[in-house]
Amino acid sequence: MDFLFLALALYALGAMTMLWPKRLEMAAHAAGMLLAAAASGLVFAAAAAYLGSMSGFCLPAGLVLSHFGLLMDAGWGGYNLTADGWSAAFLVITGLAGAIISLYGIDYGKSYRGMGIRALAGLWNLFLLSMVLVLMAGDAFTFILAWEVMALVSFLLVNHESKKKDTVHAAYQYMVMTHLGTAAILVAFYLVGSYSESLLFADLAHNTLEGPLRHVAFGAAFIGFALKSGLMPLHVWLPNAHPAAPSHVSALMSGVMLKVAVYGFGRFVFYFLGMEVFAYGLIVMLVGLFSAFLGVLYASMEKDMKRILAYSSVENMGIIFATFGCGMLLVQTGHGTMAMVAFTAVLVHSFSHSIMKGLLFMSSGAVMHAVGSKNVELMGALAKKMPYTALFTLIGAMSLSSLPFTTGLVGEWMALQSFVTLGWQTGTQEMRLLVIAAFVLLGLTGALALGCFVRLYGVVFLGRRRSSLVLKAHEMPFFMLLGMGLEALLIVVLGIFPMPMVELMESALTGGMLALPMVSADAIVWNGLGILADGTKYSAYSPFMLLMLALIVTAVLALVLEGKGLYVQKDVTWNCGTVPTRRQQYTATGFSKPLRRAFDYILKPRKERTFIKKEHAYFGRTVHYNLFIPDQFTERLYVPVQHLMVRLSAFLHLVQQGSVRLYIGYTMLAMVAVLIWGVM
Amino acid sequence: MEYLVVLLIFVVFLQTRIMELKRSVYCLAAQSGIIAGACLAIGLGSGSGLHAWLPGLLTIFVKVLFIPGAILRLAGRITDEREIVSDINVNYSTMAAAAFLVMGYLLVDHLLPGTPGRSIIAAAILMIMTGLSLMVMRKRAILQMVGLITLENGIYLLGLLITEGLPLVVELGVFLDVLIAVVVLVILTNRMSLSFMTTDTTVMKKLKG
Repeated sequence: MDFLFLALALYALGAMTMLWPKRLEMAAHAAGMLLAAAASGLVFAAAAAYLGSMSGFCLPAGLVLSHFGLLMDAGWGGYNLTADGWSAAFLVITGLAGAIISLYGIDYGKSYRGMGIRALAGLWNLFLLSMVLVLMAGDAFTFILAWEVMALVSFLLVNHESKKKDTVHAAYQYMVMTHLGTAAILVAFYLVGSYSESLLFADLAHNTLEGPLRHVAFGAAFIGFALKSGLMPLHVWLPNAHPAAPSHVSALMSGVMLKVAVYGFGRFVFYFLGMEVFAYGLIVMLVGLFSAFLGVLYASMEKDMKRILAYSSVENMGIIFATFGCGMLLVQTGHGTMAMVAFTAVLVHSFSHSIMKGLLFMSSGAVMHAVGSKNVELMGALAKKMPYTALFTLIGAMSLSSLPFTTGLVGEWMALQSFVTLGWQTGTQEMRLLVIAAFVLLGLTGALALGCFVRLYGVVFLGRRRSSLVLKAHEMPFFMLLGMGLEALLIVVLGIFPMPMVELMESALTGGMLALPMVSADAIVWNGLGILADGTKYSAYSPFMLLMLALIVTAVLALVLEGKGLYVQKDVTWNCGTVPTRRQQYTATGFSKPLRRAFDYILKPRKERTFIKKEHAYFGRTVHYNLFIPDQFTERLYVPVQHLMVRLSAFLHLVQQGSVRLYIGYTMLAMVAVLIWGVM
Repeated sequence: MEYLVVLLIFVVFLQTRIMELKRSVYCLAAQSGIIAGACLAIGLGSGSGLHAWLPGLLTIFVKVLFIPGAILRLAGRITDEREIVSDINVNYSTMAAAAFLVMGYLLVDHLLPGTPGRSIIAAAILMIMTGLSLMVMRKRAILQMVGLITLENGIYLLGLLITEGLPLVVELGVFLDVLIAVVVLVILTNRMSLSFMTTDTTVMKKLKG
C-alpha cells in the first residue's frame, strides 16, 4: 500500500514536468519518463508481491494465509481506493508494460524536441496515473472520474501531432467514440447504483437489480467496455487512433488501456451482475469470436504498419472476450473449476498481449523512426540495417501468431482448453455446435494471424529494399533497444517457463469475492497427468518439455545429416531465365491477395485500374492500380447513422434560426405555458 | 390607486399601438411616471423615512428622466427615415396585450383569490408579457429597448406589491442593473446605427457565419 501511494506520488511528480521551463525541456522529458518508469515499477512490484503472497508463490507453503486483506484500502472524502486480486492482476500488467515502455520512451520521445515534448512527458505520467487509479477505484464515482481523465489524457496524447489533419480527425473520432462508451458505462453504474445502498463497490456487489433492468445494465456495461477495448463493431476509432498517436503512446494504449476495459467488464460481471443468465456469456463469446476473426482479416489487408497492429489488437481483444464469455458459460452451466481455467486464460492472455503488442508497437516506432514512413510497401531488407530491432520484432511477431515457446501460446492454449471443456462437459447438442463454430473461427483466426505476421515481418525486414527510404535506416539508440529487448526477453522466458505468470494470474481470481474453486496452477499448465482435483481430465502443455524434445530431435537430425550437404543448397531463385530484381518481390498487397479473393464477400475491396499507356491487350501497358479496402462497419453502419443524424438535425434548424427575437419568443411561450399550467 | 391602474393599462395598450420612436419613448416615460406614483403611494402609505420615498424618487430620476432622455437623444441622432415608420404587427401586439390582460386576471383569481391588489397584479402581469411581446414583435432596436423597460417595470411593480417593499439594497441593485443595461444598449444601438446605418435588428443576420 505504501509502495502504491509512493507510485501515485511519483506519477504526480512526473506530470509536473509539463510545467518545467522551455530551456529544460529535454531534462523534463528524461525526468518525466524516468519517474514514470520508476512509479510503474513500484506498481508492478507491489501488485506482484501481493499476488505472489496469495498464491504462496514466493512464500514457504506454511506461511500462506487463508484470508487475504486488500492490496489497497484507502479513502479521502467521497473518493475510495480499494484494490483486490482482480485489480492487482491488471496492476501487474499496467506496471510492467508502463515501466518498460517508459524506458523506451526516453529515447523515442527525443524526436519530439521542440514539438511539445514537455507536454508529452507530463501527459504520459498522467495517463499512467489515471489508468492505475481506474484499477484502484473503490467506488463508482472515483472509477468514472479516473476513467474520464484517462479518456481525455489519451485523447490529448493521440492528438499530440495535431499539425497533421489526419491526426486531428482520428483524435476527435476517438473522443466521440470513447465518450459514447463512458455514457454507456454511466448508465450501467446508474442502474446498479440505484438498487444499492451506496456507490461503493462493496455495496454495489449487493445490489438488488432484477429483471429487464439487469439486462439493460449488462448491455450498457458490455457496450461501454467493449467500445474501449475495440471489439467489433465498436472498434472504428482504434485503427485510426493508433497510427495517429506517437508510437510509445500507441504501445501503452494498446497494451494497457484496452486491458483496463477488460478489468472494468470483469468487475461488472464478477461482482455486480453475476453470470446466471445464459445469454450474457453467449453474447460476449460470439462478439469476441467475430471480433477476433474479422480483426485479423482486416489486419492482413492493411499496408500501414500501425494499422496492422491496431487490427491485431482488435483480434486479440476478441480472443480475450471470447474466452471470458466461455468462462461465463462454464460458470452458468456449473463447471466452476474449468471456468477458472478460462478466466485465468483471460488474464494470462491479457498479460502476454500487453507485452507482445507493446513490443511490436515499439518496434513499429523504431522502424518509422528509421525509415520515416508507416507504409510497409516502402520498407524491406531492414534486418540488415537494424539487426536487434529485427530480432525483437521477430520474437514479438512469433508470439502474436501464438507459436510455441512464446507467451502468446500460453494464453491461447488455455483459452482453447476452456473451449474444449465447454463443448465436452456441458454436453448439449447446441453447445457442441457452438463450440465447433467457435473452433472454426478461432482456428481461422490463428492461421490468419500467422499469415498476417509472416507478411508483416517478411515485407518489413526481409527481402530486398522496396524504396530508397531504407538506405538511410540505422539501428536505434540504447533505451529503445532496451525497452524492446526486455519485452522480447520476457516473451521468451515466460513462454518457456510460464508457471510464475499463470500462478500469479490465477491467484488474482481466488483472492477476491469470487466463489470459484481454486485449481492448482500446475494442473492448468502441466502436472504430468492432466487430471484436475475433481477428476476431470484434459491435456496439458509444457513448453519446457516441448523445447527439450525439439532440441533433442534437432540435435539428432543434425548429427545424422551433418556433413552430407543435404540441407545447404545455394542457387539463384528461378525467374523464367532472368535474374530477379527488387521489383519482382512479393509486395504486402500481393501477399494478401489470395485472402482478399477468398474473403471477397466480406472485405468488398474497391479496385480502380486506369491505363496510362496501352499498346496491346497484353503488353506495352502502364497501369495505375488503386486498391482500397473500406471498413465495412464504417461503410454500412456508421456512415448511414451519421447521414441520418445530419438529416434529423435539419429539423432542429427549423427552430434554431439564430434570431434573438425568436429566442425571446420561445421564452415568452414557455412563460405563458408555465403560468397557464400553474393555473390549471 | 384604481385610477393609476386604469391609466397604466391605457398607457401599455397605447404602447402597443405606437410605432414611432419618440412617441414610444414619451409613452415609456409616462408609464414609468405612473409606476413611480404607485411606488410613492405604497411607500408613504405603509411607512415613513428613507425607505418610503427613496425608491419612488429613484424611479422618477432613473426611469422617467434619465433613461427616456438617453433614448431620446439616441433617437434624435438617428435620421434614417425607414426606422421611424414601422409597418407590422400593430394589431397583433394589441390583441396579444388584450389576451395577456385576461390571462392576468385569470391568474390572479386562481392563484391568489381575494387579494386586495387584484387589478394591480393583473396589470403587472400584463406589463411583463407585453414587454416580452414588444421585444419579440418589434424589429427596431429602440422599440425593443422600450419593451425591455416595460418588462422591467412590470416585474418591479409585481415585486413591490407581493413583498410590500423589498429591502432597500435590493431595490438599489435593481435600479443599477437597469441603468447599466440601458447604458450598454444605448451604446450598442449607437454603434449599430454607425456601422449599419440602421437600427433594424434583422440586418444583424449578416453577421452570422
